[in-house]
Amino acid sequence: MSAMADTIHMPAETSAMSTATVRRTDMRSRGEPALWSLGGALAIGIIMILGFLALVFSNGVATFIPKPIIVVTGIDGTVTAGEPFRSELFKPTAEELAALSPEWQARIKDANGYANRTLYRLGNFDIYGEDFRWVPDFAVAKFEQPKNLIFVERAEWGPFVGTVKSFTIDGAEQAFTGLGATAFEKAHADARDRAAAIRKLERGQIGAVNHELEQERLKVRKVEISAGKTSAAYKAAQDNLAEVSVDLQRRYDAATADVTKLREVDARNTLTLAEIGGREKTIPFSALVRAYAANDLSLAQKVGVYFSRWAEFLSDEPREANTEGGVFPAIFGTAAMTLLMVLVVAPFGILTALYLREYAKQGRLVAFVRISVNNLAGVPSIVYGVFGLGFFAYVLGGSIDALFYPERLPNPTFGTGGLLWSALTLSLLTVPVVIVATEEALAAVPRSMREGSLACGASKWQTIRYIVLPRAMPGVMTGIILAMARGAGEVAPLMLVGVVKLAPELPIDGFFPYVHLERSFMHLGFHIFDVGFQSRNAEAGKPMVFVTTVLLIALVTLVNATAIIVRSRLKKRFAGSQF
Amino acid sequence: MNSNTAVAARIDTATQPTVYHVKSGGNGTVVAINDLCLWYGQTQALHNVQMTVEKGLVTALIGPSGCGKSTLLRCINRMNDLVDGLKITGEIRLHDEDIYARTADVIALRKRMGMVFQKPNPFPMSIYENVIYPLKVDGVRDKALLEETCERALKAAALWNEVKDRLNQSALGMSGGQQQRLCIARAIAADPEVLLMDEPCSALDPIATAKIEDLINDLAGQYTVVIVTHNMQQAARVSDNTAFMYLGRLIEYGETEVVFQIPKSSKTQDYVTGRFG
Repeated sequence: MSAMADTIHMPAETSAMSTATVRRTDMRSRGEPALWSLGGALAIGIIMILGFLALVFSNGVATFIPKPIIVVTGIDGTVTAGEPFRSELFKPTAEELAALSPEWQARIKDANGYANRTLYRLGNFDIYGEDFRWVPDFAVAKFEQPKNLIFVERAEWGPFVGTVKSFTIDGAEQAFTGLGATAFEKAHADARDRAAAIRKLERGQIGAVNHELEQERLKVRKVEISAGKTSAAYKAAQDNLAEVSVDLQRRYDAATADVTKLREVDARNTLTLAEIGGREKTIPFSALVRAYAANDLSLAQKVGVYFSRWAEFLSDEPREANTEGGVFPAIFGTAAMTLLMVLVVAPFGILTALYLREYAKQGRLVAFVRISVNNLAGVPSIVYGVFGLGFFAYVLGGSIDALFYPERLPNPTFGTGGLLWSALTLSLLTVPVVIVATEEALAAVPRSMREGSLACGASKWQTIRYIVLPRAMPGVMTGIILAMARGAGEVAPLMLVGVVKLAPELPIDGFFPYVHLERSFMHLGFHIFDVGFQSRNAEAGKPMVFVTTVLLIALVTLVNATAIIVRSRLKKRFAGSQF
Repeated sequence: MNSNTAVAARIDTATQPTVYHVKSGGNGTVVAINDLCLWYGQTQALHNVQMTVEKGLVTALIGPSGCGKSTLLRCINRMNDLVDGLKITGEIRLHDEDIYARTADVIALRKRMGMVFQKPNPFPMSIYENVIYPLKVDGVRDKALLEETCERALKAAALWNEVKDRLNQSALGMSGGQQQRLCIARAIAADPEVLLMDEPCSALDPIATAKIEDLINDLAGQYTVVIVTHNMQQAARVSDNTAFMYLGRLIEYGETEVVFQIPKSSKTQDYVTGRFG
């Protein structure tokens, strides 16, 4: 009986317990797991983005800080001078190990067979034939930082690390007393002015002569095409060309004579450098970009070098296969292309969205068009590049050439990649973003606003123009901002339709018609790819990759910030609406 | 029980003809609605409505929710054109013009009418620009005329004294009652022949409501007003004629005092005494 009672009692107890568990609110019903996964997803996203930004910024910002030059004397007597670049662990080979002292052997054994080594940036590529050298810690006898060592940035052959032996001014040899010496600084400044003068002559006068000569030739060719080779007009044109050529040739000769004269002066002003081993190298003063005593810099001097490097980076043309110098043409190209793209994509996208949302009869066809537009955003960008090359450059550009520039054929004018075709290709790529954002913004305009306007006797277009569009403008701006961000960062299609490694001629210059939309251009995104992966010396280019990335991010942020400020101004006008 | 009365009412209204005892303003009619039927898709929302709007008087449309009074009002300036799948038979005449005729110019028609909506809907512009909007879309560029119109309309809407110093400020910074009076000013800026009001006070507090009602009383005589309202007291206070609608039919249309005190239809009696609705 008592056993029976127990068995009856048991289930009662368990049921009481289960009621208790049910009463304690289930975690799922409180939504706790969802909260954790939602918050977790956000946290992971933020960590990834912050980590990326921190990596890029720390590397990018540090690149231009002048580093000390360390002279490493090896136990075998070799001397290496250079900037320490990076360190890593490596596994020495058995032969290397066998040659080491027992003490080092024990230390490497303790570290599981790994030893540390440091990569030094040597400079002096013209003498050594190498840019970098690994020095294992166990091969080092001593480190030194001699104060007389100088880091010289040159226009050619990359940096030079060593000392200044002497310099000549106008053929007369002078004793070198220091970088800050008046004579040295004056010689450098003069050389710089001279180089600028040469550049001005070459770009300005010689460039103008070449341009005019080309124009004259094209005129003759035009006459040849329209009137034929046997015509009198052709004869007259040729005579004219001969006449003009004489004058141009005279101007060309005068300019080249000036340049030659300057070059001769340049050759008499030189600088003799000596590397750590004593080998010497003489360079003209004009090839000297910047020199500083790396181990003897005050903080102010360091800051000076740092900012002068930034200034050069932002305002100069690239040197040394893009791994040195500035990126001004790339900044200009990126900005010009993005601006042109916005000029095309904004009206195009807004008009399309207006028709789709306001005028088109909402039916199956419109739904299909809308889905297709959305799907366009998912097409790989390189496909747009292929389309842009095939349609814009070859078909459209080819037709333009045949119609308007027949005298230049077979050289293409518009029939090849260029700024205009790049902007159009990217417009095509980003137009779905603008359409979708604009459509949503239009749909969000309250019906009461439209009715109010229509009831006042406004036509549909007036209602759209005065009420709907201004009200939808912040949303439209969002679309344009997204399109700009996407467009400015896109590289793959641009490689096909107009971006090149080096294009010193900007799309805007002093020759008629001043804006040359057919020209190929440089782009920061492509510059990153080129410097990082296409250059002779990927190791030396790596810091430039980070700096350029920082610049690109900053540029996109700047453009977006401007657009966001404009948008918030617009939004403020509609704030406090209703109650 | 309840559904039985509803069915009975339906049969009742379908068979009973509309009772008319319209007060004449002495100036003829402005709008004449003739045998108007309206369908939203398959649903018929208006059944053979027949009524006239007397010039210079205030006509109220009352009735329970969904009875078609707003629909009827929006037919008069063809605001219903925005609705998809709408079908209309019968005719509405503004003076002698059939506004649903194939050749009718909807925009010109709307310019001859003003409309005030349930919720104030000032445009996101300055007060001045809001008031002159009907003239702006009409192509008026004469600054003196625009300013004069703005002042006249705001004075007529009893708003001038409150806003005359901030005409260039955004209309969205005003209170709800002010916004609604601004909408009225906008509606009368172009001197419409008829002023249509769709429950203009339903989103306002009692004080703002009282101001709007005073305003409607002031406007009566000068303008012909058609007002839809849920509030029977309001209809009794402001209107000369009242139309009672039920289930898409016009049940009784006539002098306001009669409709509210000795209605001639038992349906109207039930509604105004609060027995249903």
